[in-house]
Amino acid sequence: MATLESPPLGTPSAMRSAFGTVLSALILLLIGVLAFSIRLFSVIKYESVIHEFDPYFNYRVTQFLSKNGIYEFWNWFDDRTWYPLGRVIGGTVYPGLTLTAGTIWWALNAINIPLSVETVCVFTAPVFSAFASWATYLLTKEVKGSGAGLAAAALLAMVPSYISRSVAGSYDNEAVAIFALIFTFYLYIKTLNTGSLFYATLNAIAYFYMVCSWGGYTFIINLIPMHVLLCIVTGRYSPRLYIAYAPLVVLGTLLAALVPVVGFNAVLTSEHFASFLVFIIIHVVALVYYIKGILSPKMFKVAVTLVVSIGLVVCLIVVAVLVALVASSPTGGWSGRSLSLLDPTYASKYIPIIASVSEHQPPTWPSYFMDINVLAFLVPAGIIACFSPLSDASSFVVLYIVMSVYFSGVMVRLMLVLAPAACIMSGIALSQAFDVFTASIKYQLGRSANSKDDAEDNTSTNNAPKDDSSSGKTDKGEEVAKERPSKKGKKKEREPADKPSVKSKILKKRALVLPLEASIVALLLLIMLGAFYVIHCVWAAAEAYSAPSIVLTSQSRDGLHVFDDFRESYAWLSHNTDVDDKVASWWDYGYQTTAMANRTVIVDNNTWNNTHIATVGTAMSSPEKAAWEIFNSLDVKYVLVVFGGLIGYPSDDINKFLWMVRIGGGVFPHIKEADYLRDGNYRIDSEATPTMLNCLMYKLSYYRFVETDGKGYDRVRRTEIGKKNFKLTHFEEVFTSHHWMVRIYKLKPQKNRIRGRAKKLKLKTSSGLDSKPAKKNPWI
Amino acid sequence: MADHTNLSHRFFLSIALLSTVAVTEPDLTGELVSLRSSSESGVIRLNDESVSRFITSVSIPRPYSLIIFFNSINLNSEPLQEFRREFGFVSASFTSNNNNRSDVTDKLFFCEIDSTDSEAFHRFGIRSLPQICLKAMMEEDDVDGTAESVAEFVESRTHLTVGPIHRPPLLSKTQISVIATLIAISAPFLIKKVLKGETVLHNSRVWLYGAVFVYFFSVSGTMHNIIKSVPLFLTDREDSNKLVFFYEGSQYQLGAEGFSVGFLYNAVGLLLAYVTNALVRVRNVNEQRVVMMLVMVVSLLAVKRVVYLDNWKTGYQIQMYWPSSWQWH
Repeated sequence: MATLESPPLGTPSAMRSAFGTVLSALILLLIGVLAFSIRLFSVIKYESVIHEFDPYFNYRVTQFLSKNGIYEFWNWFDDRTWYPLGRVIGGTVYPGLTLTAGTIWWALNAINIPLSVETVCVFTAPVFSAFASWATYLLTKEVKGSGAGLAAAALLAMVPSYISRSVAGSYDNEAVAIFALIFTFYLYIKTLNTGSLFYATLNAIAYFYMVCSWGGYTFIINLIPMHVLLCIVTGRYSPRLYIAYAPLVVLGTLLAALVPVVGFNAVLTSEHFASFLVFIIIHVVALVYYIKGILSPKMFKVAVTLVVSIGLVVCLIVVAVLVALVASSPTGGWSGRSLSLLDPTYASKYIPIIASVSEHQPPTWPSYFMDINVLAFLVPAGIIACFSPLSDASSFVVLYIVMSVYFSGVMVRLMLVLAPAACIMSGIALSQAFDVFTASIKYQLGRSANSKDDAEDNTSTNNAPKDDSSSGKTDKGEEVAKERPSKKGKKKEREPADKPSVKSKILKKRALVLPLEASIVALLLLIMLGAFYVIHCVWAAAEAYSAPSIVLTSQSRDGLHVFDDFRESYAWLSHNTDVDDKVASWWDYGYQTTAMANRTVIVDNNTWNNTHIATVGTAMSSPEKAAWEIFNSLDVKYVLVVFGGLIGYPSDDINKFLWMVRIGGGVFPHIKEADYLRDGNYRIDSEATPTMLNCLMYKLSYYRFVETDGKGYDRVRRTEIGKKNFKLTHFEEVFTSHHWMVRIYKLKPQKNRIRGRAKKLKLKTSSGLDSKPAKKNPWI
Repeated sequence: MADHTNLSHRFFLSIALLSTVAVTEPDLTGELVSLRSSSESGVIRLNDESVSRFITSVSIPRPYSLIIFFNSINLNSEPLQEFRREFGFVSASFTSNNNNRSDVTDKLFFCEIDSTDSEAFHRFGIRSLPQICLKAMMEEDDVDGTAESVAEFVESRTHLTVGPIHRPPLLSKTQISVIATLIAISAPFLIKKVLKGETVLHNSRVWLYGAVFVYFFSVSGTMHNIIKSVPLFLTDREDSNKLVFFYEGSQYQLGAEGFSVGFLYNAVGLLLAYVTNALVRVRNVNEQRVVMMLVMVVSLLAVKRVVYLDNWKTGYQIQMYWPSSWQWH
C-alpha cells in the first residue's frame, strides 16, 4: 500500500509526483467502492430492507420529513406512540441522520432520480462508510503522510466493528456519526498543522454536524480539550494550538446549542465543562507567552509570578464554581452513561437499566479479535511509530487510541469509536513496516547489482529509488514538523529545509536497512496478515453482521428457510385493523409497529417512561382478567406477542418475560418475581408455578400450541409446556403468522348480559372509562 | 459459572449463631473470656476439641451465645477473607464498645472454625447442606458480608448491642504525617521542575509506556475482570489439582486468560516496532538476520495461537471463500 504512494518531497521529477497523486486518487476511489460494496451483503443475501428496531424509527422520521418538510419536522408531536402520552419527536431526536438522508433524497429527486425514501435510507450507511474511509485518509495523511493514510483508509473501509453498525439497511445514527467524528478530528489536526482560521471554522461546522448526529459528540468535546491540555502540559503550546482550539469552543458550543436535543445542555452539563476549563487555561497560557514575547527575560521572571498567581486564583475560582455546579445537579451533573465510563462499577451498582443492556457490558478479549481483528496486533507498533518523532498531530492520535481503547474496555458499544483509531494506528504501523522492508529489499538488490562500484556511489545511486518508496519515518516526521509553521511561511521554508534533510538522509540511510531475505519473508508475513484481515472482514460482513433481524433465515439440510413472519403480521395489522386502533406489545416491537403497520403503540424502543413500560409489563404478567382491565383502560384493541417456540427463535417474549416481570414489579409491587420462579428459574414446563401458567404472556404464547404437534414441545426452552389445553376468556386470537412467530389477539368486548358480579365489574370499568375523575387504577 | 463460584462462597460464608441462656457454668465462660483476650481481635479459633467442650458437651441452654464464622484458609477466596476481616471488626467493636459491662460481653463470643477441623465442619453439617443450611439459620439478605450486617444479625438474635463498628482508618496518622512532610519537602523542587519544563510529563517515553500499558490493560479485558470480579483462574470441578485458565464461551473470561491474550496482542506489535525502529540501526547483518527470524517465528506463533484460541472460545470458524471447485473433501 505504502509502496504505491508517490514521494511528496525530494524527487526532482514532477511527473512522478503527479503520477503518485493520480494513483492515490485511484486507490482512494477503489477504497470507497470497497467500503460501499462490502456492506451490500445484507441486500444481496436478504433484500433492500431497513434493519432491526431503531432504524425503523429513523426511517419513519425521514418519511415524515420528506413528506412534510423541515418546519413540520421540528414541531412534530407524534401521537402514534406512547399512547396516551405521545412523544415530541422534533425536540428529542438527533436530527443529523434524518436530515442527511432527507437531503440526499431531495437532491436525487431534484435531478430526476426517483429513488424511494426507503432506498435512500438503506444505502445511506454504506455511502457514509466510503466518506469515513476518505476522512481517515485525510486524517492519517496529516499525521504520518499519505502512505499511512491510504493504508488506514483501506483498513477502515472494512473494519468489522464499523461494518456491524453500517451495513446497508442499518439506518442508525452511528452510520453518519463515525464519518463526522473522523472528519472533525481531521479538521482539528489540519488546523493544528496549518494554523488556519479557515480550517478552524470548518472544524466548528463539522463538530456541529457531529452534534446533530450522535450523542457520542461528547467524546470529541472531551478529547480535544484533553489534547490541548496535554500539549500545554508538555510544553508544546503554540499559536496554532490556540487557533485550533478557541474557535472550536466558541463556535462549536454556540452551534451545538442550536440543536434542540442538546440546547442549553451544551453549557449546563458537566460533560462540556472540561472544554470550558481548558478554554480558560489556554488563555492564561497564551497571555503568559505573549508577555514573555514583549518583556525582557528579567522582567518576565517578575511577571511570571504575577500572572501565574492570578491564573491560579482564576482557575481555583472556576474549579470551585464547577464543583459547586456539579454537586448541585441531581446526578452530580453527569448523565448515567458517562458516569459508568469513569467508574466502571457505577452502572452495575446504581442503574440496572444501563447494566442490563448487553451492549453496555464490558468486552472480553475475543470481542477485540472479532471487531478489530489483526489490528489488535498492529496498534502497539503504530503507537510507537507515533512517538518517533512525537508531533502535535501524532500525539493527538495517540491520545485518541488511548482514550477510546480504555472506554471500549468499559462498554462494548464504544468499540465503534475505537475502530477508526485502531485503523489509523495500524495504518501507520503497516506503512512504516512496508517502508522499511521494501526499502531494505530495494537497497540490497541495488547493492548486489552495483557491487563493483564504490561504496560512495552505492549510497547515492541507491538513494534515489529508495526515496520514492520509503522516505522513511524520519522523513515524514520532518515533513510533519515542518508543516507546523503557519501557512504563509510554510512553502518558502520548505524548499531550503529540504536540502539538509536529504543530505542527512543519505548518511542515515546506510544504516537503516535489513537483510534481503528476511525482509522478503517479513513482507510476505505482513501480506498474509493483511489477507487474513480481509478474509475475516468479509466473513464478518457476510455472516455475522448482515442479518436484518426483521427477516430471518436458517440453513438446514433441505435448504434455506426464510421466516418473514414479522412483516407478514405488520402487514396484517395495517390491512385488517382500523387506523386508530391501539396495539400493545413489549417495547421492542414499538418502532416496527408504528413504522410498518402505522398503528398506535403503547410503548416503544425509546424507553423514556419507565412507568408506562412497567404498566405493559404488569399486564403481560397478570392473569387474563386483570390484564384485560389494564389494556382496556389504555384503549388497547390488539395485543401482539412474539413466540419462538415452534421454530426455535430464541429472542421471543417468553425469554424476555423476566424483564417484564422485573420492570413491572419495580413499579407495581403486587407483581413479585418470586411467584414466577421455581428454584430460581423461569420455567414453563410442568414444574412451572401457577402464577406463571396463568399469566397473560404464557397464555397468549401457548394458546392452541398443543394443536401443532400434539405434545406442545417448545423448541426454545426444549421442554413440553406445563399447561396445554386452556381457553381464553378475555382475548380472542385474530392472527397467527405462518411460523407462529407473531400472534395477535383482540380484546373481547365486554359482555352485554348483566348478572350479579359481572354487573358490578362492568359498572366499575365503564365508570373508569367514562368519567375521568372517578377513574380507579384497576391494576393496583 | 458465576453461579457456581457464588454457591461455593455461600457454602463457607455460613455463620451460625448458637444462642442460649440460663444455667450458669462460670468456668466455661471464664475460659472463653481468657481465650478471647488472647486471640486477635477477639475472635476465638475453635478446633474439634474446643467445639465439643464449649458447644456439644454443654447442657442446653448454655449461658452464652457463640457466633461462629466458618472459614477456609485453603480456599484462598478473596471475598471470604474480606468477610473474615469484617467479622473481626465486629468482634473488636463489640468488646471495645461494651468494655466495662461484663454482663454483656460474657454473653456473646465470636468464634471461628477453619475447614481443616473437618470434624467440627461435619458436626454443623456444613459440608452436606450448603445452601439450605444457610437459609435455615438466617435470611440470605440479612448478612451481605459487611460488619454492619453481621452486627445487626447478632443484635437481632441475642438482644445484645454491638455498638458502632470501629474500622482501622485507611491511612494511619503517622503515615499521613509522613506523606504530608514528603509532599511539603518535594513541593519546591517540583515547582521548579515544572517551571523549567523537566517533569516526567515532558518525557515522551513515559507517555509511550503509559499508552502501551493502557492498550494492554484494555485489550486484555481487565475492565471486564474488575467489573465482574473475575478470579485469575479456577480449579477444575472434577480434579482439584488441575487449574482452569481458559474459559470456553465468549461472554466470560478468566483473569489469567485475558492477560495472556493481551500479552500476545501486544507482543506482535511491539516486536514489529522493534524491528522497524531499533533493529534497522544494528550494523551486524547476521545479528539482524537471526533476530528477525526469531521475531517472525514468535509473531507467527502468537497470531496463530490467538486465532486458535478465538476459534475455540467463540466457536466460530471463518470461512475462507475458496472457489467451490477447490474443495477436495
